[in-house]
Amino acid sequence: MRQEALKVSPSSQPSMTKKQSKYDEYKRRRKILLKSQAYIVGLISLLALWSIWGTGFNLLSLVFGTYEILVFIFTDMFPPDLSVIGSLISPALDTLYMSYVGMVISVLVSLILGVLAANNLSPHWIVARVSRSVTAFLRSVPAVVWAIILVSGIGLGPLTGTIAIGLSGIGILGKAYAEVLESIDENQLEGVRATGANWFQVIGQAVWPQFKAGFVSWSLYKLDMNIREAAILGLVGAGGLGYYLQGSINLFQYKEAATAILMIFALILLVEYMTAKIRERII
Amino acid sequence: MIKNKETFRQQKKVQNSIFTFLAFAFFVFSMLQLNIVPERIVRSIDRLGYIFSNMFPPVTNEPLNLFGAAIESIQVAILGTILGVLISLFLAVLAAKNLTFSPYLSYFIKAFAGFVRAVPALIWALLFIVAVGLGPTPGILALAINSIGMLVKVYGEALEEIDMGIVEALESAGATKLQVILQGVFPSVLTAFTAWSLFRLDVNIRYSAILGVVGAGGIGWELMKAAQMSRYDEALMVTIVIFGMVMSAEVISEFMKKRTNAATAQALN
Repeated sequence: MRQEALKVSPSSQPSMTKKQSKYDEYKRRRKILLKSQAYIVGLISLLALWSIWGTGFNLLSLVFGTYEILVFIFTDMFPPDLSVIGSLISPALDTLYMSYVGMVISVLVSLILGVLAANNLSPHWIVARVSRSVTAFLRSVPAVVWAIILVSGIGLGPLTGTIAIGLSGIGILGKAYAEVLESIDENQLEGVRATGANWFQVIGQAVWPQFKAGFVSWSLYKLDMNIREAAILGLVGAGGLGYYLQGSINLFQYKEAATAILMIFALILLVEYMTAKIRERII
Repeated sequence: MIKNKETFRQQKKVQNSIFTFLAFAFFVFSMLQLNIVPERIVRSIDRLGYIFSNMFPPVTNEPLNLFGAAIESIQVAILGTILGVLISLFLAVLAAKNLTFSPYLSYFIKAFAGFVRAVPALIWALLFIVAVGLGPTPGILALAINSIGMLVKVYGEALEEIDMGIVEALESAGATKLQVILQGVFPSVLTAFTAWSLFRLDVNIRYSAILGVVGAGGIGWELMKAAQMSRYDEALMVTIVIFGMVMSAEVISEFMKKRTNAATAQALN
């Protein structure tokens, strides 16, 4: 593509009137853009066709699916059975506790991994590389996958969910902390070091004040995410609201399931509101 | 003045320590409520060690099945993203305050997107399975609808930030509404839209890997099978394949982004 551009451009340069050469230039640029767009659109259409062929997806099922889900929601799930709210409060609180404990665990581990992974603080570049790979692996594997493996090993219940949330949280927070730490101002570190401060004093007086805002907002963001994850971890048996939801759907109690979904919705909104307030207050 | 500053600082310090204490107290309280006591932690560490030692080396008995399931997951993610993007493009125009026909329609679509976004993809999959049956179709639909929730929001925000001068210029040249949107609006938000769509593809690949857990096809089901039979070595293999899927998606979207940017840069210089 670059070669072609080089071929075209000299021909548009020599002694033409200014207007014409500009128009040629415009045509040349437009051609490059159109070609790139055609390439992208072609690639996407090919991918789409390949996927339709592979999954046996019928475009009509988009229409039918929408229709069916509307019928299902409005006849089977509506109105939600609000009488079960009482028995939903304890799983909802479990979900909340799971995401909080999971967040604290991942914050503690990520602080260590983050410092080790940040290029400017890491004791050695090999340590940084290893710490980066660990977080990358933990980040790329969804929490539900950890939960499935742990459920068969440790057993059903909220402990499993908490560990799974903690593990996947380490992946996200470890990377985020390392990035925040790498972007801090080195001069302040130099300044504090020049006064003869030891490593802990440098961290406390020079790193922490700069790191605090990023640390708080990333940790709270993770708490937001955790609530969503904790709500679905129950689907594989790791406790909380999802467990109740799975149970009521298996028993065809769709009106109860609707209440559980509304509860998850309310919990997510509540936690988002609270983390926004805390963030405002601290930063 | 100096004294005031000093007391203010002290107050702040006291407040900070109260917050730290509350956070810690809530942590302990949550642990107790979840019945996570030291004895159980020790026991679960034992179990974790057992799982870990059984995980290596990762094996698979049916490499073809596993590969097919991974491909199916990727296809589900691609179709879910494409459908989600197409529908969101349409809805976002109606939801953006500066382009919509009526503000009520805008509020309605935003509220709908907010609700759809707040319900996790896996729950949508569960509902679609009940509505349309097992297989990849409910997975595709669940990913599409969950993507709509997010994309309508971010597309709408991008559309609301565009330079209205372009729209006015086109309108005064006598362009119809559709022409204004295609010629004036979309080109100015193309970069943001591409970035968000690729990000969503990334998210969808992660989701599609776990949709099989509830029976919506793909690699999640293989993982479920391995874990239920306590074959941790097979489960690790599936996990590694999922890891590979997610990583390759990142590489591909990076490549496409680079290519588009390179072409644009070439056309502009």
